[in-house]
Amino acid sequence: MDATFLMNSLWVMLGAILVIFMLGGFIMLEAGSTRMKNAGHIAGKTIFTFGLASLVFWAVGFGFIFGDKANFLVGLSNFFYSGAELEGMSLSSPVFFVFQLAFAGIAITIALGGFAERAKLSIYLIFTILFSAIVYPVVAHWIWGGGWLAEHGKQDFAGSTVVHLTGAMAALAATILLKPRIGKFNKDGSANNIYGHNQVYTALGVLILWVGWFGFNAGSTLSVEDGFFGFVALNTNLAAGAGAVAALIISWMVMGKSDVPTMLNGALAGLVAITASCAFVDTWASVVIGLVAGIQVFYSVRFFERKKIDDPIYALSVHGAAGIWGTLSTGFFATPELATVGKPGLFYGGGFEQLGVQFMGVAVSGLYAFAVSFIILAIAKKLMGGLRVTEEEEIMGLDLSEHGSYGYPEIFMAEENKRISS
Amino acid sequence: MNCGINSYQSLKKWKDEQILNLRLDAYALNELHDCVMKTVFKIALERMNGEKLPSWKFVWFLTGSGGRMEQGFLSDQDHGLVYETEDPEAATYFLKLGKEIADGLETVGYPYCEGNVMSSNPIWCQPLGKWKEQISDWMKEESWQTLRNLHIFYDSRVLAGEKEYIGELKSLIHNRIKNNSNLLSRLMETSMHIKNAIGPVGQLLPEEKGTHQGELDLKYTAFIPYVNAVRLLAIKEGIFETSTIARLEKLQDIKGYDAGMDRCKNNFATLLKWRLLSYKQTDTYNDTHFLQIKSLTKRERNELKRILKDGKNLHQFVIRTIEKGAV
Repeated sequence: MDATFLMNSLWVMLGAILVIFMLGGFIMLEAGSTRMKNAGHIAGKTIFTFGLASLVFWAVGFGFIFGDKANFLVGLSNFFYSGAELEGMSLSSPVFFVFQLAFAGIAITIALGGFAERAKLSIYLIFTILFSAIVYPVVAHWIWGGGWLAEHGKQDFAGSTVVHLTGAMAALAATILLKPRIGKFNKDGSANNIYGHNQVYTALGVLILWVGWFGFNAGSTLSVEDGFFGFVALNTNLAAGAGAVAALIISWMVMGKSDVPTMLNGALAGLVAITASCAFVDTWASVVIGLVAGIQVFYSVRFFERKKIDDPIYALSVHGAAGIWGTLSTGFFATPELATVGKPGLFYGGGFEQLGVQFMGVAVSGLYAFAVSFIILAIAKKLMGGLRVTEEEEIMGLDLSEHGSYGYPEIFMAEENKRISS
Repeated sequence: MNCGINSYQSLKKWKDEQILNLRLDAYALNELHDCVMKTVFKIALERMNGEKLPSWKFVWFLTGSGGRMEQGFLSDQDHGLVYETEDPEAATYFLKLGKEIADGLETVGYPYCEGNVMSSNPIWCQPLGKWKEQISDWMKEESWQTLRNLHIFYDSRVLAGEKEYIGELKSLIHNRIKNNSNLLSRLMETSMHIKNAIGPVGQLLPEEKGTHQGELDLKYTAFIPYVNAVRLLAIKEGIFETSTIARLEKLQDIKGYDAGMDRCKNNFATLLKWRLLSYKQTDTYNDTHFLQIKSLTKRERNELKRILKDGKNLHQFVIRTIEKGAV
């Protein structure tokens, strides 16, 4: 067995571990951005849904994306993947499988962000199965599995569209159908801040995601050849930094305060945006892409709030808006040397051709993910007596209503504890 | 103004009828508040009749916005008592009277003071001798809380009783400052926070969230900065007037304070006027300081920005003046 094959396998396995560890980032980010009474639920469901999504990915997801005998929507082999080596791979196939599984796990986690603080646990379960089986694999097949968008030369190196936009569009469908949390909007239409309970968690979550992103983007080289993964990591880091800086500055310019959650969203938006383009653009373009993402995420959050869409952890803006921008960005900035897929961008003499492909990819993938997610949830709403916990349960918190115990028992069970100790 | 009423309930009714006629006149509005509060005091004294009438001299004073004659339509109560002799009987009597006054004011529509600056609180209801000790202790301690108390006390205005007591006590503060400039610096450090209302590109910064979305928090962006800055100058110069406008008028007469004081005076009068105009009948106390920016004309908006900027400049002026030790 040759050394390159082993090195590739080792590198991508490391990437898979980093990407799976991003779930730790999501746990911190989501729990920190929401209220204490839902913390245990949010942390726990993230682990549970990843477990469930792993099984679905093994059963059908992987086969739908990468299988042979493909139709327009999906491939049709390698279901219940045995771990066998597949043909023509320059790394271990099970490693490739685990790496891809990790991406599917991130996509469903993003989607479920839109459910935060009000959806029933049973809805999480149903949606995880169906999203992982028929939403994510179709888009992934189109772009990464040799589908029609791949044939058009759609550039999406590590998944601004495939992972982030797909997840965000499902989150959008969910937030629309679920409606805002109790107390988010006033009768006169103004919005209230429902503060997250721990900004330190949120910041640590962002850092874990940032580090994990080196697995996500640099790992997506799938090889150690020429050490190119280092360049991808460099671009990734620059965009994250630029996103954080731009978001902090714009929040200060507009609101007169340097808002911490906005800055954190800016770092994530930079990461999401560079995900599509990290292997195709120069370093200076990474900085520009990150800066634009940081400003965009600030306005995007305000936009959704004005539209009365309650997005507790900003999934729509961070993963959706930045996912769209990131995908389009290669249509502007992809260089002739780096565009190993598709064509160079508008600023490098490629004209509007690649930009057009990127636009089509974003529009069709986004619409597909939104429409199918919406239909799944609308049917579930009918059949399962609504998507939401009751008002009473929402007020008491999902920790208690869905799981029967608190993430922070000492806070909420103080009375009981007093009785025991006295 | 004399309302000739002898129960809290009928006084409340009378006040609620009168008050809405005063939309355009901040001064008359405060005269009305004074009249109502004096009547409350009179009724409270009468209701103490089970006790013997006080033979001791005393003074009942207002502080806070009432002390400064800067109340809007709604306002909470801030007040205290100073009495002549150290005598347990007097102490019991005046605390009981203080409680009666606070309850009376509450019935008439002035919510209890959250900070407990009320005559029913032993800290704010003491014999003159104890008051002097207390103020000395506050000045010695220079802690955040005791400095806050000094700020509050300096806005005291007599509503009933012996006027000279308050002047005597305020002189203690002014005299100490003359010999100890550090105290003035400490007073400044505890009262110079401004809630920023103008953004880096010169735009107004209204509330982002909540039921006051799109409205400007006048209390913390404008009123308090002006009030605090002008109070510091008043303490420095030994001015015993309590209203911000009267203090500014006095300052104008002092050498070294230039036309800036006149401008501040006009600004502050405009703020008082806007607050009255923006009042809605459904407002609670916390609502009354928010100004709907959309309801302002472009000219008014520019005026508001200028007033806010002048407020910042006034702060800079106060800081420089106090650091320098002279005007």
